[in-house]
Amino acid sequence: MKSLSWMAISLFIVCLIAAGLLSRVYTVTKIQIEKQKQDGIQKQLSQVLPEAVSFRETIDDTLWLGFDKDNQQIGIVFRTAWQGYAGPIPILVGLGNDTVIRKIYIASAAEGLKETPGLGFKIRETSFLEQFYNKMYKEIQLVKDGGTIHAITASTISSNAVINGIRAGIERFQSNLDGDTNSVQDLQIDTTTGATESDYEK
Amino acid sequence: MRNKKSKRLQYLFNGIILENPILILMIGLCPALATSTTAKDAFGMSVATSFVLICSNIVVSLIRKFVPESVRIPIFIIIISTFVTIVDYTMQAYVPTLYRVLGVFVPLIVVNCMILGRAEAFAYQHNIFDSFLDGLGKAVGFTLVLVIMSIIREYFSTGEIFGFVIGPRFIISQPMLFMIFPPGAFLLIGLLKAFINKFIIKPEPTD
Amino acid sequence: MTTNPLLIFIAAFIVNNIILIRYLGLCPFFGVSTTLTTAFGMSTACLFVMLIATWVTWTIYHFLLLPLDLIFLRTAVFILIIATLVQFVEIFLKKNFKALYSAMGIYLPLITTNCAILAVTFLAIDYRFSLILATIFALGNALGFGLVIVLFSAIRERLEFAPLSRSFKGYPIAFIAASLVALAFLGFIGLFGLPL
Repeated sequence: MKSLSWMAISLFIVCLIAAGLLSRVYTVTKIQIEKQKQDGIQKQLSQVLPEAVSFRETIDDTLWLGFDKDNQQIGIVFRTAWQGYAGPIPILVGLGNDTVIRKIYIASAAEGLKETPGLGFKIRETSFLEQFYNKMYKEIQLVKDGGTIHAITASTISSNAVINGIRAGIERFQSNLDGDTNSVQDLQIDTTTGATESDYEK
Repeated sequence: MRNKKSKRLQYLFNGIILENPILILMIGLCPALATSTTAKDAFGMSVATSFVLICSNIVVSLIRKFVPESVRIPIFIIIISTFVTIVDYTMQAYVPTLYRVLGVFVPLIVVNCMILGRAEAFAYQHNIFDSFLDGLGKAVGFTLVLVIMSIIREYFSTGEIFGFVIGPRFIISQPMLFMIFPPGAFLLIGLLKAFINKFIIKPEPTD
Repeated sequence: MTTNPLLIFIAAFIVNNIILIRYLGLCPFFGVSTTLTTAFGMSTACLFVMLIATWVTWTIYHFLLLPLDLIFLRTAVFILIIATLVQFVEIFLKKNFKALYSAMGIYLPLITTNCAILAVTFLAIDYRFSLILATIFALGNALGFGLVIVLFSAIRERLEFAPLSRSFKGYPIAFIAASLVALAFLGFIGLFGLPL
């Protein structure tokens, strides 16, 4: 009888200590986890839209307005994604009020990029990314479609996904820019031409 | 006195080669294969697993006199999962990028047979210091295999080790991508096991 | 993550096969895949426990841990649930379904430490599946586990008679065979645009 009650009590004590300890750990780390998440986003935001000093989130985890030190809106940062070879490619784009792309950021494997290492992953290389810096909407096209972007050899699908993702994002969010946005309205080009069938045959 | 000391050294060194958890005892294979894609990830995973293993060994040994035999397994599981959760949240808070790469394998440390096995087979019968040494030995053995595997896999698939480019250019321009994927992991551990069988611990002839 | 049930099933079943692509449940995979009979018994037991475990843990997580803000107890609660559940299933089968018990009874205790079960319950929560989708996900994973383990046992039965050098006998050649099977499964990457 004694051993049976001791069994229950010991189990109970262990559970109690474990739960108490864990709730303590949880409350302590929760703040830090939240902060890490915010810091990470802030760092990426100022990376793609360097002129902005502060950001305001308008669509949850998708659209931020960027402000300069005089609290004037100077551009937007948006998150967009397009189906690549092995999954959607998450892209963060900084767009100035003049509709010129400042910089783009493509998620790392830890942040959800699923492309093949060594092939599709080359879309994260600076030489590919730099092609997008300081470009307008109409220039974001493959060279053969009349744009300025050179696709990565053997990774046409991934390269196209980046182009299509950015184009779709600009079309969707350009109305959030401060100022005259008509200049981009007439540039509506069919985005579905980005990945033609001949690309898949390669 | 001398005898006791040599026995302690044995507890420590057994885990590294003769009773290596992965290559000899063949337990804890899932994290070994899944997280050995790059040296950094493998090292992070090893530290997390080692922490849980050593702490649970110490605590189990500490309370072994008070734990009734019939409920010892549930109690061990609670102790282990407590440490796993502590590691889980600490990693989320302080090394979020590493945590995202390791993903579900961090909470899965709780079902690593190695940890429950050591608590049951060793720490429940030995004193704190011996249990600590045993845990440390096994942890070093686990880390060693993970880091060796990850260095080989990372080097062949990217030409880098711990993120640093090393060696001839052709490995970087034409990497063996295969090594970063599951088939590469299975092939590598198969070859390692064959190597161990050939040169370190010869299996008993069966025929 | 897609919400199309068929895609979730195919992704869990083949594209992200739990053993060969996700590296889960490797201990039973190499442990019991030596003959076709043991492989079959293990995969049945696994299917059974995986489904029940997913239902129970999903319900407890969404109706107990989340409302009470106790999510930090997830790991501890889930593993204890699975351990208890396996005991219950064992007793239940022993009493009511003798034939089924004799087929898979001895594999049930092994399942407690099968990381595949715990991983599926975690992933069903992490992917924010509804109960129906979680069931489909668990079903796909359990069948994928069964498919690979049964296929592989056939290979291993042949390997027993292969003329091999002594150091490659047993585990090493099993790993290398698994590597080739995994290579075949790697060919499914990108099927229907499913993420890895």
